[in-house]
Amino acid sequence: MDESLELPSLTPKIPQPTDSTEGADEQSSGEEDGGPDWTKIPSGSSKFSVRPVIPKRGEKDFEPSEGSALQQHMLGQMRSAMFDALNVPRTASNKSISYAIWIPHLRRAHVTVARGTLFNGMGHSVPRPLSPGEDDSLGEEKLHKRLELLPEETLYLIERGSMFCWMEGDVPTNIGPAWEDVAGFPISVQQAYAEMIGKDDLTLEKYQIYAYLKRLGYVVTRARPPTPFYPTPAPYIPKRSMFNWLLRFWGKIFTGIYALFSRKRNWWRPLHLGGWWDKHTNYASIFSSLRFLPAGHSRPLMPHKSTQLGTTGDTTTITSPYTIFYNLYKPSTPFRKTAPPPPDFSLVVVGARKTPMPSLLELTSLFDLLPEEPLPPPRQRHPTQSKPLPVPPVPAPTTSSVQTSTLTLGFSRLSRWIYPNWFRNGDAKVQPAVRKINPFQALKFGKKNIVIAVVDAGTTNFYRFGEGAFEEWPMV
Amino acid sequence: MAKIALRVSNHQAFVWNIQDLEAVRAKHRICGLLIGTLPHLAQQNVFLGVPLTLMPEEAVLLVEKGFAVFIDELKAYYAPTPQELVNWASIRGEEAKRDVERREELKEDAAMSWKLSDAAIQKRKEREAKRAVAKAAAAEGGEDDALFTPTRNIAPPLESNEDSAESPTFAVTIPTESSDLSWYSPDSHTYETISAAKEAGIWSYPSNLHERAKCGVFRDLWEKGYYLGGGMRFGGDYLVYPGDPLRYHSHFVASVLDSPTSSLLPVEIVAHGRLGTGTKKSHLLCGWNDDTREVSYHSIEWSGFG
Repeated sequence: MDESLELPSLTPKIPQPTDSTEGADEQSSGEEDGGPDWTKIPSGSSKFSVRPVIPKRGEKDFEPSEGSALQQHMLGQMRSAMFDALNVPRTASNKSISYAIWIPHLRRAHVTVARGTLFNGMGHSVPRPLSPGEDDSLGEEKLHKRLELLPEETLYLIERGSMFCWMEGDVPTNIGPAWEDVAGFPISVQQAYAEMIGKDDLTLEKYQIYAYLKRLGYVVTRARPPTPFYPTPAPYIPKRSMFNWLLRFWGKIFTGIYALFSRKRNWWRPLHLGGWWDKHTNYASIFSSLRFLPAGHSRPLMPHKSTQLGTTGDTTTITSPYTIFYNLYKPSTPFRKTAPPPPDFSLVVVGARKTPMPSLLELTSLFDLLPEEPLPPPRQRHPTQSKPLPVPPVPAPTTSSVQTSTLTLGFSRLSRWIYPNWFRNGDAKVQPAVRKINPFQALKFGKKNIVIAVVDAGTTNFYRFGEGAFEEWPMV
Repeated sequence: MAKIALRVSNHQAFVWNIQDLEAVRAKHRICGLLIGTLPHLAQQNVFLGVPLTLMPEEAVLLVEKGFAVFIDELKAYYAPTPQELVNWASIRGEEAKRDVERREELKEDAAMSWKLSDAAIQKRKEREAKRAVAKAAAAEGGEDDALFTPTRNIAPPLESNEDSAESPTFAVTIPTESSDLSWYSPDSHTYETISAAKEAGIWSYPSNLHERAKCGVFRDLWEKGYYLGGGMRFGGDYLVYPGDPLRYHSHFVASVLDSPTSSLLPVEIVAHGRLGTGTKKSHLLCGWNDDTREVSYHSIEWSGFG
């Protein structure tokens, strides 16, 4: 296999992120319109001469007609093209192939020879005793850092034809040619599927999603570290800390005081027009005065005791299948293995046959773990809207404070709560620029996003759930 | 005729052998789904390679009809003896040696044909002419000229510092199937029936009424001559094709009901009708009767009046 043609796409070459998502859409919606046309892919014999191109889908007939020789011929041709393509052996040059040893009891593969850019987004280093057999005799354990692969990473590299994997075992000394890195029993791809799936929380569904995304060029890491040595991005601290408790506590006191000094809420005149502190200068403040049902995702859900998930205090729910499993990075995101940045997407993988739709509680507990995302830049659909105003998205009133630390966020919220009118005046100045953002786009995108991958006996689908903040976009 | 081997691990059936794949598809009208990466087209998702995964219904049908057997994958491997490993390595060594020789020949051929070709001759001439110009410029001795003739200081082209001189290049083959490995012995871990496989603890489908209903409906539609695929993307359990899905569109989306008298929400009828019309299919409601082991079918289609 020519490595230069098969460069893993950390540099977004073939799988442009936009292309890839379009491809996924096309596959999910247009599966029926044209199946993969196996006659159009380069067969194994020509792979050295022809640059691999991603073929297009072919046309289909409506139904087989009785005794149509042409249809029979087409079908036969297509099948044989498919089986030819499936028969291509996995070969790689000895100069570009990597080697690893699978250690069953650790459920990890130790990489002995790492080659190629695929390793930029895979593997992590783990300190292990120098030689597993002799560490006791040395008295003190000597630790030695080495590159290890998770089961899915190992399986993907083997399956891709980029890595030769050995099973740990005693090897006779007189084995084989000296130039190969011999270290155990060879593992076939078939054995790797049986051996590595089912280890370390890796189900077939999760592996399929992993391989699908890797083939598109994404960097995929585990969200929950399987061992302490596995680097993960700094976790997002949900706003349920001590500080928030204090905030709520003081907030209650202040609202009490506020209620003392203000008139009682008059249901027939909710607007309090005329008071010295009431300055209803814009629609947003009037709407929020008219609102008597609490709204927004910051309010607790108050679930019924029997339907509550896991333990109430913890941020994680162990019992739910809806837990974040993979972190996803676009090929264009600069990624450092040792210090991964916050992920571009968080991914939940579920099997369609056993998992019901996520409940509101499950979705809420997922969103609690996720940071708020800035709005996507407004689309440039109508370039005729030529106004010299600054184009970069002016974040919505609350999102502007998201970027700052949680402390200031909390403080601004607190003070906003206590002096709502004062802040509203401040907002009013920003208001004209805010209108530039299409509220429907912002609502659709949501403030928090989670991708749920559903696998049904091999068929994969991706769904995005967004937490729309309707209370922030009144339709005025 | 040997039966098709369904390699089972994690309660999931895979087909690895190409001949088995052909038999499953062409002879038994079972499609399955390819999920592996094709080694020569590794960065796309349109065409995938072995293994073929089977829906549990498909595997159950193949085994119940006696076309296939289950193999317990994890137990089928034993640790190879040193002799087996040495044999394997020597075969591999010979392959590598042959590959090295073949590459050498190819390289020599290529080099020879290049040297004799017109393009090469022309290039050589150009190079000589350039060198002569550069020499003349250097002889004139202007310091400024050094700026324009920096070619000599540039590192030699990449081709010249190949390290292939010390170690030969050859192709390493990663075995895909296990059947070539002498330490893979599936014979003693083969199960001919579903119940035997269930007893051995490697298979569990069907385990309840809904799964029985799915197997029953799948089998009934298959016996009527249809090809079946997964219907998750169309709001049903199966897609029903009149011919091989490689060439034909499906006509029905089938969803399985556990009993012919099970209740149905009106909203479901609307949703099925709507989606079916949008995708040019009609929706098939398949009611499984667990006592008589029969299926009754009802199809939903937009009538299109007015």
